[in-house]
Amino acid sequence: MSETTAAPTREDVVEMISGYRAQVSKGDTEELDSLELAWLLHQAEQRYGVELDLDDADLSRMHTVAGAAQVLADLVGGRGDG
Amino acid sequence: MSSETHLSPVATGEPSAPDTGEWVGELLLGGPERELALHLGAPLDRRALRELVDQRERELVAAGLAPGGSVSLRLPPSLGFVTVLLAAWRLGTQVSLLDYRLTQHEVDQAVARLAPQLLVQPAGPVSGALRALFDVEPVYLPNPAGVPAATPHTLIQLSSGSTGPSKIIGRTAADVIAELDRYNAIEGIPQRGERAVVLGSMVHVLGLVGGLLHGLNAGVPMVVPPRLTIDGILKALADGDAPTTLIGVPSQAEVLAAVVDPPALPGFRRMITGGELVRPELWRALTEGYGITLGNMYGMTELGVIATDIEGAHRPELTPAPGIAVRVVDGEVLLSRERSPYLGLVDPTRWADGWLRTRDAGEVDAVTGRVVIKGRLDSQVSIGGLKVDLTEVEQTLADAPGVEAAVVLYDEGIKAYVSVSADAAGGAVDAWLRERLAAYKRPRAVHVLPAMPRTSSGKLLRDRAALRAAAQRVADQN
Repeated sequence: MSETTAAPTREDVVEMISGYRAQVSKGDTEELDSLELAWLLHQAEQRYGVELDLDDADLSRMHTVAGAAQVLADLVGGRGDG
Repeated sequence: MSSETHLSPVATGEPSAPDTGEWVGELLLGGPERELALHLGAPLDRRALRELVDQRERELVAAGLAPGGSVSLRLPPSLGFVTVLLAAWRLGTQVSLLDYRLTQHEVDQAVARLAPQLLVQPAGPVSGALRALFDVEPVYLPNPAGVPAATPHTLIQLSSGSTGPSKIIGRTAADVIAELDRYNAIEGIPQRGERAVVLGSMVHVLGLVGGLLHGLNAGVPMVVPPRLTIDGILKALADGDAPTTLIGVPSQAEVLAAVVDPPALPGFRRMITGGELVRPELWRALTEGYGITLGNMYGMTELGVIATDIEGAHRPELTPAPGIAVRVVDGEVLLSRERSPYLGLVDPTRWADGWLRTRDAGEVDAVTGRVVIKGRLDSQVSIGGLKVDLTEVEQTLADAPGVEAAVVLYDEGIKAYVSVSADAAGGAVDAWLRERLAAYKRPRAVHVLPAMPRTSSGKLLRDRAALRAAAQRVADQN
């Protein structure tokens, strides 16, 4: 399906963390805390069927929604093309 | 102000230096050579641990530290932290722990107050999102302004204070040994032959004593996943058949409960969370989803573990640990503690006549003796298991250049509302906070309002809904 192979967008990231934020009744913010990031990586692995083995440099760019979308796009999008 | 503060509580006749470190070899490092002592990214047996501690002790001595001396550790969770800590204790020195996430400004303030003879920190900057474990090489920096230990405490920790600078909390070796005895006497606590996967930081009391020290004392290896990803936690739980206890905070239970199809985890028996109680739905999801028990522990830096419900059998009630007396006065939980745990200038109402005031609201059941904790009576909140005092954040923000008034409160995370002067430079407030507050203390959002809402008597309004609405009006206009 095209949805699963297309590079993740900002909207995808927001959607993936919305479930967790609803559970812990946390509002929408641009910043991602460490548990949101752990949750996001798990969701992204399941949704895109990939195993993400990110290094510190990648993870350090993922502390915002925009940064996380960019890193996931680089990794998942790149692999989807190949 | 002098009536509200008093100097060091150390009475005459008490020893003025920490105990000799014999207890470290006896209670922590002893045991069969080949027994697994720790699993910090890789297994380490007791013999290897003893050799590493020997080496660290030689390094500390070479850096000028001697029995009765003082040392501050600014090390992230790591094998380096564990081995330097144990070596410094065994040497008979006073060890103060500084969270590695503190800014340089915060560290400078702490070093000025504590005056350690030696500061031990990583050779280079440490960072890494989701890292629970770091690979660091300690460097030893002598402090020319440092002085030897002036009190009998072996462990010094800083706690975010509700007024003024953070509190300095001291514990003697006897205090730590008493806590180890309490752990051993708590029914259902992991025993030799079991292991504990510890998600809480080993530089704070639950991970430090409940994970690291109880583990070494009782033969329950502490396992720390290198990264706190869901995958990393599940792999640590899946590794081996030994009965496994997971120790963490409620928000970590939250992410684990959300795993749709968890792998087989034959050894996983129980999770114990520190801090606030988990929601009933989360408790059900986790216990049923993983086939485990989910219990709760209540403790504080001043005393360590206080009351527990290891199996989650009495939710929300907790049974005081053996040796801890609990009473409730005017709705506040008080705990027995022979001496004040505080050093230096401190609000004397925190401890008096053998009772420590927790600032937690609670109730004690007269029949069972069990206690229910009902939240904070002051402005302290828990962010991912770390205590943050909102007053400290608010005062720091109020001092920022261009800020005229500030209110900081907890509303789905730490939120700040400020009014600023016309000439305030954009970004200056953020830069100010980044320099002065560790990341976990900083507001998730700082809303700039044209004027702060006030009560009819002119006080800053602290109503969440009103402040939210004011911020929304600003957003709508832009």
